[in-house]
Amino acid sequence: MEQWQVIVAVFAVYLAVTLGIGLAAGRRASNSVTGYVAGDREFGLLVMYFVTGASVFSAFAFLGGPGWAYSRGAAGFYILSYGVLGMAPWYFMGPKTARLGRRFGYVTQAQLLVGRFPSRFLSVLVAALTVLAFIPYVTLQMRGAGIVIEAVTDGHISLAAGAALAYGIVIIYVLSAGVAAVGWTNTFQGIFMLAIAWTLGIYLPFKLYGGVGPMFEQIAEARPELLRAPGLTAAGDPWSWGGYSSAILVSAVGLQMWPHLFMKAFTAKDDRTLRRTVVLFPTFQLFLIPVFLIGFAGVLFPDTPPEPDFILPFLILRTDLPALVVGLFCAGALSASMSTGDALLHASASVAVEDGIRPFATGLNDHQQRLLMRGLVVVVGAIAYVFAITRAESLVVLLLTAYGIIAQLAPPIVAALYWRRATTAGAIAGLLAGSATALFFYFNASLRPFDVHEGVLGLLVHVPVLVLVSLLTPAQSDVHSGVFVSGQAQATKPDAGGSATHA
Amino acid sequence: MRALATAFFVLFVVAVTWPGYVPFNRIAPSVLGLPLSFAWPAIWVVLGCVVLFFLDRSETRAEDREEDG
Repeated sequence: MEQWQVIVAVFAVYLAVTLGIGLAAGRRASNSVTGYVAGDREFGLLVMYFVTGASVFSAFAFLGGPGWAYSRGAAGFYILSYGVLGMAPWYFMGPKTARLGRRFGYVTQAQLLVGRFPSRFLSVLVAALTVLAFIPYVTLQMRGAGIVIEAVTDGHISLAAGAALAYGIVIIYVLSAGVAAVGWTNTFQGIFMLAIAWTLGIYLPFKLYGGVGPMFEQIAEARPELLRAPGLTAAGDPWSWGGYSSAILVSAVGLQMWPHLFMKAFTAKDDRTLRRTVVLFPTFQLFLIPVFLIGFAGVLFPDTPPEPDFILPFLILRTDLPALVVGLFCAGALSASMSTGDALLHASASVAVEDGIRPFATGLNDHQQRLLMRGLVVVVGAIAYVFAITRAESLVVLLLTAYGIIAQLAPPIVAALYWRRATTAGAIAGLLAGSATALFFYFNASLRPFDVHEGVLGLLVHVPVLVLVSLLTPAQSDVHSGVFVSGQAQATKPDAGGSATHA
Repeated sequence: MRALATAFFVLFVVAVTWPGYVPFNRIAPSVLGLPLSFAWPAIWVVLGCVVLFFLDRSETRAEDREEDG
């Protein structure tokens, strides 16, 4: 048997195990919409930790991270910097969001926003922006899966066929079981990824250069420009500080706004579990260190991969590791893609139905909603698949684009939870102005001042508009805004979660 | 404790972006084999872990005291 055939066999076993875990979890989850979307609110610490970690670290970190370190050097360090910054505010906002979720039965972030700022238009706007942001994110995961499969099968299975195969499996378990499947498969895949990243990140520098220190000494000799921030652009020119710094800012602001992460506040068992997830999260961030080491290990390697994002599978296929080990390593990279892809598909369908369709179609029963969500999982998957096989963008660039959109959800969420004077008109005006600005600079990149990311420019317009329009429109009643800002009891609204003691 | 943690994270932002990053954006000295420009953000991530851990410990203890008393 040739090496690539052994690897494919390892892959097949791995995918079968993942599918088995996903389907087994699905049988245990309840059959309601809350069960499908929010996993019955009963995830414990271990599952929460890996759900969060595995859904943040994806093909983006596993393939895009080494790809950037390899081709753009220190530019990739922005990825290391933003994760903790993005997660820390959640220590305060997460439990607050969770209490409101239990109380009013929210399962999505638009429901929280609309609870504070009653407007069906706002709900649809948030749903539309969310799905728009999810598409490049899902595209990235599919390309990642395709890259791994094409590389390890030595081109016998193309990127397009590989992406279709891996995401066929993802869609099967997302369709059958919802978030419970996502939780259990991510726990399994999360453990697997962590072990593999560290093993490989230490092994490759030793194997190719005799150690981490000697590797960087040799790179410093030959390509010193790679080791100084802000590193290089994709074309190999020096990157700007404006671009580097604003990439950190937009990603930190946007991180928790991803519905698949935000909605974790509605699935956590209790506040303590949620806070502990935030505390443990930076340990996942440290896993980027070996990931970058893998990328740097490729810098002075004599051969060149077809695209920088191929560097991880490219390198390990050229070491003399046994085929079984290579197969497991690549399955780890594949699992990174799939464990995020499933959460993204699940979240985008949930958001589209809950926030985009349900406000207008109140007559839908539970069964019809679940059917609609399943249909949307397939639709979003199909759109992303078309982009994945037609657009050869770098994985990191795809995610940065998505962040420019999703970061626009941060100002209205913060205002809903912390600013009594914010009004519905203010929230809508800010969101429209911010998104329009971000889109304008996305399509006119040369006009961006100091090369600042379009998402940050959007926020610079968004926040003043939100504040001004809010101040110019009549304030909400103290009782209403107080429920969200200080968590006081409200007499008129029925208590949905039975946790009035938290007030 | 919350105010201290917030101040730390503001400092974190400054340290890993322009211009706070510039003085540490050098290849030498190396820290555990990593060039300083790589080790610098990594050190802040580790500090971030420590700060969040102590913040949570103090808040959890305060909660427990409330429940007991």
